[in-house]
Amino acid sequence: MASAETTADSLFEALIATAVDGVVVIDAHGVVEVYNPACERLFGYDAAEVVGQNVSILMPAPYRDAHDDYIAAYRHTGVARIIGIGREVVGRRKDGSTFPMYLSVGEGRVGGRRIFVGIIHDITNRRDAERRLQDLQAELLHVSRLTAMGQMSSGLAHELNQPLTAIMNYVKAARRTAEGVEDPRVARALELIDKAAAQTARAGQIIRRLRDFVEKGETHRRLEDINTTVADAVALGVVGGGDVERRFDYATGLPQVMIDRIQIQQVVLNLVRNAIEAMAASPRRQLRIATAPTADGGVAVTVADTGPGLPPEIVDRLFQPFVTTKENGMGIGLSLCRTIIDAHGGELDAVAAQDGGTVFHFNLPAPAR
Amino acid sequence: MMATATRPVVFVVDDDEDVRDSLRALLESAHWPVEDFAAAADFLAHDGLEEGGCLVTDIRMPGMDGLALQATLAARGIGLPVIVVTGHGDVPLAVQAMKAGAVDFLEKPFDDEQILTAVVRAVDRHRQDQGRQAAISAARARLDLLTPRERQVLDLLVQGRPNKVIAFELDISPRTVEIHRAHLMEKMDARSLSDLVRVAIAAGD
Repeated sequence: MASAETTADSLFEALIATAVDGVVVIDAHGVVEVYNPACERLFGYDAAEVVGQNVSILMPAPYRDAHDDYIAAYRHTGVARIIGIGREVVGRRKDGSTFPMYLSVGEGRVGGRRIFVGIIHDITNRRDAERRLQDLQAELLHVSRLTAMGQMSSGLAHELNQPLTAIMNYVKAARRTAEGVEDPRVARALELIDKAAAQTARAGQIIRRLRDFVEKGETHRRLEDINTTVADAVALGVVGGGDVERRFDYATGLPQVMIDRIQIQQVVLNLVRNAIEAMAASPRRQLRIATAPTADGGVAVTVADTGPGLPPEIVDRLFQPFVTTKENGMGIGLSLCRTIIDAHGGELDAVAAQDGGTVFHFNLPAPAR
Repeated sequence: MMATATRPVVFVVDDDEDVRDSLRALLESAHWPVEDFAAAADFLAHDGLEEGGCLVTDIRMPGMDGLALQATLAARGIGLPVIVVTGHGDVPLAVQAMKAGAVDFLEKPFDDEQILTAVVRAVDRHRQDQGRQAAISAARARLDLLTPRERQVLDLLVQGRPNKVIAFELDISPRTVEIHRAHLMEKMDARSLSDLVRVAIAAGD
C-alpha cells in the first residue's frame, strides 16, 4: 500500500500547489500547517514565514486578536461562525495592506487530530466593480433627481406657454376688433382687456424666468472615452433586469468626446432601462448596445431592443414632456434625454427595428478645436 | 392701410390648434387674410403658395418640423419669407432657422405689435423680391429679342466703349453701330444709355 499512499500524497501536493485559490490548513490551535503558492501570491509571505505561525498574522486587527478566542469558543460550544458556511472577510498582506477575500472553512480530522482547511478567494476586483457601480448609481440618482425636477419645470413652462400664447393672441385680437367703437361700455371693456393682456404678459415673464433658472444648471464637460462611459451606464442599467441577452458592439479607435459624463450616462441608463422594460413580456429579449464613429468625426451610440416597438400614436410625440406609455411614468425620461443630447450638440431619435423592436440612436459631435 | 382684397395671404403652420386659431384671430383683426395648417405636409400640399405673402410657422412640430419645412420650401424654389415662432428654450433652433434664411423669429408668447410688424416686414420684402424678380425676367425677355450683332454692340456699350471703338472692334462702320444701337435701345425699351445699362445689368443678375 506504500505506493498508493505515495500517489495520494503527490496528488494532494499537486492539488495544493496548482490551486488558483489560496489554501491554508491550521490545527486546532490556529497554527498553520499548510500554506500553498497561491497564498504566497495573495499575502506576500513565503510559506517558510507562515508555516508554524498562528494564522492570525494573515488577518488585520481587530480579527487578528480575536481569532484565538473564535477557535476556543468553537471548540467548547461547537457553534460555527464560519465553518461550513464561508463569508467575505478581510485579509492582511505582509506589507500591512488589506484586501477583501471570500473565505470558506471546512473542518476535518487527520489521525484523530482536528484540522481546519481554509480556501481563500481574492475578490478585490469584484468589490471594486461593485463599489464603482454603487458610486455611479448614487451619483446618477442624485443628478437625475435634480435634472428631473428641472425638466419638469421646463416641461411645465413649455406646456403652459402654449395656452398663454393663445390667450395673448385672443386678447389682442379682441382689443383690435373693439377699437374705435364710440361707446363708454366698449371703452370700459377695452380697459379690462388691457388689464388681462398685462396679466398674461406677467405670467409669460414668470415662465421665462423659471425657464432661465432651470437652464442655468451647471454642467461639467471634459474629454471622455465614450465606450467606458456607455459601458458603465449599461452595467448599471441591466442590474435587476432579469434574463436579457446582451450584445455589445463597441467600436475601437473612437475619438474622445467633450461631454458631461454623468448626463450622458443618464441618457444611456434611461434608454437601457426603457429597453429592458419594453421587453418584459417579449419571447425574445435581446439588448444591443453599439458605438460607432460618425462622418463628422464624432461618435454614435445605439441602444436597441426586441420589444413590441413603439405604439404609433406616441411615435410623433415621443420626446415631448409628459408623454408616456408607462402606467406610473411621468413622461420625463425621454424628453430629458433629448434635452441633454441637444445641449451636447447631438441628436437623439428613435426608429422601428426591422424585427419589431425599437432602436434608439444618438450622436455626439467631435470636440470643437 | 391697404384694402383686404389686395393683401396677400398669411400662412400659419402650428400643430397646436388653439395657438393656430388665436393667431388667425389676431392676424384677421389686423385685416390679413389667413390660411392655417396643422402640419407642414398639409401646407406643402396646398396650391397657391406662390401667391402668399409670408409664412408663420412653429419650429417644434410632430412630423416635419419648422426647419425641415423651411428647407423644403428653399429646395422647391419657393421664396416665401418665413417667420419662425418658438416656445422657450428653442432659441438654438431659432438661430438655426435664422441662418437658414428665416426673416424673423419670435418667442411665445409674443406681443401683437411684434408679430404684426414682422408680418408687414416679411410681406413687403416678398413683394420687393417679386418685383425685382419680375424686372429681371422682363429684362431677360428683352435681351432674347436682340440679334447676335446687337448683343455684341450692347456688351461693348455696357463696358463703356464709345461708338468709334465699337465700330473698330467689330470691324463695322460707325454708322452701322449707330443703327444697331438705335434698334437695341428700342428693343430694350431704354430711353437713355444709362437706362440701357441698368436694364442690361438687371438681366445679367
